[in-house]
Amino acid sequence: MIPRRAWPVIKLGLLGAFILFTILPLVQMTVLSFTATLAQDGLSLGETTLRNYRAIWADPSLRAAFGNSVAYVLINIAITIPVALPAAYAFARLSFLGDKHLFFSFIAFRITPPVVLTLPIFQLFSVLGIVNSVTGIALAHCLFNLPVSIWILQGFIAAVPREMDETAFLDGYSRPRYIWKILLPQIAPGIAVTAFFCFMFSWVEVVFARILTTTNGKPISMALSAMFGFHTDIGMVMAFTLTSMLPGALLLFAMRNHLSRGFKVGRV
Amino acid sequence: MKHRDQTGWFFVAPACILLGVVGLIPLVTIINYSFFEIFTLQSRFWIGTEWFRDLITAPRFWASFGRSALFSTFVLCIQIPLGIALALCIPRGRFWAGAALAMLSLPLLVPWNMIPALWLSLMNGDTGILGQWLAGYGWPAAWKDSAVLTWVVILAMDTWHWTSLVVILAYSALTTIPDPLYQAAAIDGARPWQVFRHIQLPRLQHVLLMAVLLRFMDSFMIYTEAFPINAGGPAEASLFLAVDLGEEIKAFNYGPSAARSVLYFLIVLCVAWVFTKVQAKLDDPKPGVP
Repeated sequence: MIPRRAWPVIKLGLLGAFILFTILPLVQMTVLSFTATLAQDGLSLGETTLRNYRAIWADPSLRAAFGNSVAYVLINIAITIPVALPAAYAFARLSFLGDKHLFFSFIAFRITPPVVLTLPIFQLFSVLGIVNSVTGIALAHCLFNLPVSIWILQGFIAAVPREMDETAFLDGYSRPRYIWKILLPQIAPGIAVTAFFCFMFSWVEVVFARILTTTNGKPISMALSAMFGFHTDIGMVMAFTLTSMLPGALLLFAMRNHLSRGFKVGRV
Repeated sequence: MKHRDQTGWFFVAPACILLGVVGLIPLVTIINYSFFEIFTLQSRFWIGTEWFRDLITAPRFWASFGRSALFSTFVLCIQIPLGIALALCIPRGRFWAGAALAMLSLPLLVPWNMIPALWLSLMNGDTGILGQWLAGYGWPAAWKDSAVLTWVVILAMDTWHWTSLVVILAYSALTTIPDPLYQAAAIDGARPWQVFRHIQLPRLQHVLLMAVLLRFMDSFMIYTEAFPINAGGPAEASLFLAVDLGEEIKAFNYGPSAARSVLYFLIVLCVAWVFTKVQAKLDDPKPGVP
C-alpha cells in the first residue's frame, strides 16, 4: 500500500516528467532556430545567431504565408461559429425527428480522414473557383471544425439552466431573439473556447492546405514544406515553425482556464 | 423532458447545408468514381466493382490494414490510460491547473508536417538532444533499420502530439464532480483507487468514449506524420493504410483512389456505428442502479 502522504509527490512527479517530455522537442526546435545550420554569410556551422529570424523577416513570401494562415483561420471561424450556434442550440434544447442520427452523421464527418475527400473537394472547389485562395481552405476546414464546434457549444448551452428559456418565453421573447439577447452573453466563454479550437485544428492542418494551394494562397505549413530541398536550412525551418507557434501559444495561455470547460458531456 | 417537434430542423439546416457541400457532395462523387475506369474525366467506362475486388484481394492492403489496426491498439493502450492519469495529476489550484494544461497542449500547435521533422532532429544521433542521450544507453545510430525502433519512435511522437487532447477531455469531466462526493468518500475512508473506481471513472465514461473515438480514427488513418519518419520502412514495416491512398491521389488515379476512399469511409461508418451502440448502452442506466 502506498501511504496517503506519498500521493501528491507521485502525482507531481508524473506530471513533471510528462511536461519535460512535452517540452523536449520544443527545446530542440528553439536551439536549432538560433543555430547557423548552413555555412553562409561568413558564419560557420553551429554558431549561435539571429540570422534565421532575420531571414524570415526579410522574406516576403514567408510573411505572405503568415498572412494567408491568419486570413483562412479567421474566415473559417467566421463561417463555423454562426452556423454551429443554432445547430448546437437545437441539439441541446430541442427534440426533433432524427436528432441523434444527425448528430452522429456530423461526428462521422469529423472522423473521416481528410485524405479520403481531397480529390473530389479539389474538383468541386475548382468548379466553384475557390482553389488557390484562402476561402477554399477555410471552407474545406469546416468539414472537421463544424462538428467539433457543435459538440463543444452544445455542452455549454446544456449547462445554462432551462428555466432561463422558459422565463424569457413567458416575457414574450421569440426563440431567435432569446438566443441573441440572452443565451449568447451567457455562453460567451464557450464561443471563445470554440473559436480557439477551430483556430488550433485549422492552423496546423496540412492535407487540405496542400491540395488546395498549388500556386497561390500558400499558408504557413506549405511555406515550411517548400523550405525543404537539396540544401535544407533546418535552422530557418525551425525558426519559422517557432514563429508560427507564437500566436497559438499566446492564445493558449490566455485561454488556459477555459480550455477544459467545453467538453462537459459527450451526449445529445 | 425536451419538447418534441420539428422546429429543430430549422436550426440545424445551415450546418446540414455546409456539411452537404464540403462533405456529402465529395462523398457521392467518389462513390460514383469508384465504379469507373477513368482516363480523363470526359472518357470513362463502367467497370462495376472491379476496383474493389482488386483492392480487397491484395495482400498489401490487408498487411497495411493489420499494421494500422495494431498501431491504433498501441495508441489507445498508451494514450488513454496516460491521459487519465495525467488529468488526475493536474494540480487543484486554478493558476497551476491552467498553466499545466497549456504546457501540455503546446504540441497541438506545431504544424503537422513539421512534427516528423522535429522528431527526426530530436532523434539525430549527433545533434539531437534525445538521440545523443539515448546513444549513451545503447540506442543504435541506425535505428531506422529496425522495425521495432521505428515503431517506438512513431508511437512516442504520436503520444507526444495527442495525449494532451485526452488530458483536456478527461480533466473537463473530472471538474464536474462536486466536492461533497469527495468529502463523503474521505469520511468513509475510501482508498484513492476506490475513489477513482466509484466516483471519478463513472463521470469520465462519456467523454472517454469520445476520446477513444477521436484517437482511434485519427491514429488508424495517420498520414502526414508517420510516413516521413522512415518512408514507410524498413521493408514496409511502418506503411499505414492512408499512405497508399495518398500516393494514388498524388498520381491522379481516380478510380482506384476513389474505391479506396469509399472503403475507408465504410470503415469510418462501422466505427461510428459501434460508437453509437456503446453510447446507447452508457445512456441506458443499469438495472438496480438509480
